[in-house]
Amino acid sequence: MSLLSVRSLRVTYASRSGPVRAVDGMDLEVPAGSITGLVGESGCGKSTLGRALMGVLPDAGRIAGGQVVFEGQDLIPLSESARRAIRWRRMSFIPQTAMNALDPVQRLRGQMLEVLIERGGFSRDRALVRAAELFRMVGLDPVRLADYPHQFSGGMRQRASIALALALEPALVIADEPVTALDVIVQRQVLDVLRELQARLNLAMILVTHDMAVVAYACDRVAVMYAGQVVESGPVEAVLERPLHPYTMGLTHAFPDVHGGSEALVPIEGAPPSLLHPPTGCRFAARCPFAQPRCHAEPPASRALGADHLVACWRAEEAPELRALAATPATWAAA
Amino acid sequence: MSALIEAQGLQKTFRARGRLVHAVNDVSLAVAPGEALGIVGESGCGKTTTARMLLRLEDPSAGRILFDGADITSLRGAALRPFRARAQLVFQNPFDALNPRFTIRRSLAEPLRNFGIPEAEHAARIDAVLNRVRLTPPEAWLDRRPHELSGGQLQRVVLARALIPGPSLIVADEPVSMLDVSVRAGILNLLREARDALGLAAIYISHDLALIRYVCERTLVMYLGRVVEEGPTTELIANPAHPYTRALVAAVPVPRVEQDRAALPIRGALSDAPPTGIGCAFRDRCPHAFARCADETPVARSLGGGRAVACHLGEAA
Repeated sequence: MSLLSVRSLRVTYASRSGPVRAVDGMDLEVPAGSITGLVGESGCGKSTLGRALMGVLPDAGRIAGGQVVFEGQDLIPLSESARRAIRWRRMSFIPQTAMNALDPVQRLRGQMLEVLIERGGFSRDRALVRAAELFRMVGLDPVRLADYPHQFSGGMRQRASIALALALEPALVIADEPVTALDVIVQRQVLDVLRELQARLNLAMILVTHDMAVVAYACDRVAVMYAGQVVESGPVEAVLERPLHPYTMGLTHAFPDVHGGSEALVPIEGAPPSLLHPPTGCRFAARCPFAQPRCHAEPPASRALGADHLVACWRAEEAPELRALAATPATWAAA
Repeated sequence: MSALIEAQGLQKTFRARGRLVHAVNDVSLAVAPGEALGIVGESGCGKTTTARMLLRLEDPSAGRILFDGADITSLRGAALRPFRARAQLVFQNPFDALNPRFTIRRSLAEPLRNFGIPEAEHAARIDAVLNRVRLTPPEAWLDRRPHELSGGQLQRVVLARALIPGPSLIVADEPVSMLDVSVRAGILNLLREARDALGLAAIYISHDLALIRYVCERTLVMYLGRVVEEGPTTELIANPAHPYTRALVAAVPVPRVEQDRAALPIRGALSDAPPTGIGCAFRDRCPHAFARCADETPVARSLGGGRAVACHLGEAA
């Protein structure tokens, strides 16, 4: 059974023109002890999902439907105090810029103690020992607990916010673009810290990212999001090597590969649809080189095709032929 | 072939907390007409400062910059104008590069006016450049304002604005880092096409070796203000000579399941204050450092085939 099951989740943001459907009928299974990549472009709803799971949506946002079943319990109907009891202790969050997680005017020690004592019920002595242990665990020298966040480099701050997120041994950590703001060497080192701790502590982790290469490097499973929905999900190997959805196929050719050949990259022309008035059919149809009349008329439901591999595309059975076509720029130029 | 732009011994120093910091330390480079050079390195390596000095947006503390063989290091004001028309910057962030109140037409006409292009030529040049960046038909775009465009479309306008004065050199600092992945490839392809079609020289600044590899035939690797390695991009990636380049290449994730996940060949905590003064600046993080690395600053030596490295490893004793 999954540690976390998101079922038909809908999150809307109020706007002057009406509700924006940022997450619109999303399904996601996160098994215990694995890293699930949540990949997609800006505005696809991946960060909103992370915030909805944590119960920290901004004021304009609200859950419009669906379930978030975590450790056997639906979190949506819970009161704020019940959510607070879960936050940090069972489920925690690593934001993109550690500055958002860390208080700039408080030493790191104070911030660690606050979580350990107030949220975790540690005594001060035990909390001090635990804070040092957590710092060592993420590769920071415990003497640096006396520092303020601005005395840290970007990579060190991100390590500190990982230490903070793991302080109370949660079962699930949601990391929202945790390495996007970092240089490539630091990025790799932080990903290695996350991977090592995930394995050692048998954590489940949702790694929100726009970068397929980060997914390939660090994740066991991946869910590809487009316009508020998951269009494809499954084990990383299956999704990356045998993508079933044209959007995933496009993404795998949109990146330069540092060791790859010299073949031209394939852009996906156009832009995602408005989430104020999403199209009736498949949301990717307007940019899809393989769209047929049915794709514009009817939304494809998510279905299993292959072991543990889900896809929402009417033409998924033709994926092997479509993959060959998707590798050439001419296919996409004609869309 | 003689260089279009050349830098000799560029330095940029400033004082921080009473200490002299070399943001750029003795950087020399040359870009031939039509050539694309990448400058790669992490934040703080001096790559952006180097680019800004090359464009004469920042004064070097020492060194010379030659453009078409003429020394432009100390030109100012109006004397720089012909250079400005021929060396253009592509802005990194398309979301704040354009005046939000200007139509696309006006944003593109402005540089033409600045460089004294006769009014009668404006419409034709604007049409041509919009076609070049594939915002077609041009009349559908001319009267729009930035808020009506997506990030990828804005970056096309930003590129059009750099191309419209008819430069011989464009400098792009992380040209796609603010864009969504699905549209990055389109901008990179456009940059490649524009170069080929117009015979432009280009300098790309990025921390992303994969991107540099896609658009640049030659690459400089910078670490803490110095060039540590240079060479043809594919060879430099396939067979890096400097230990820092090796770590940089190994750190780039690839979009494939099978990949090297071994620990990076680099030492040192992220916090380490870099060594200053005499010696190799990378020595505290280098897995191969030996006594000489602290005693003597390595100077670039040729490896043949256009490659050079500044490292004591493999030097004759």
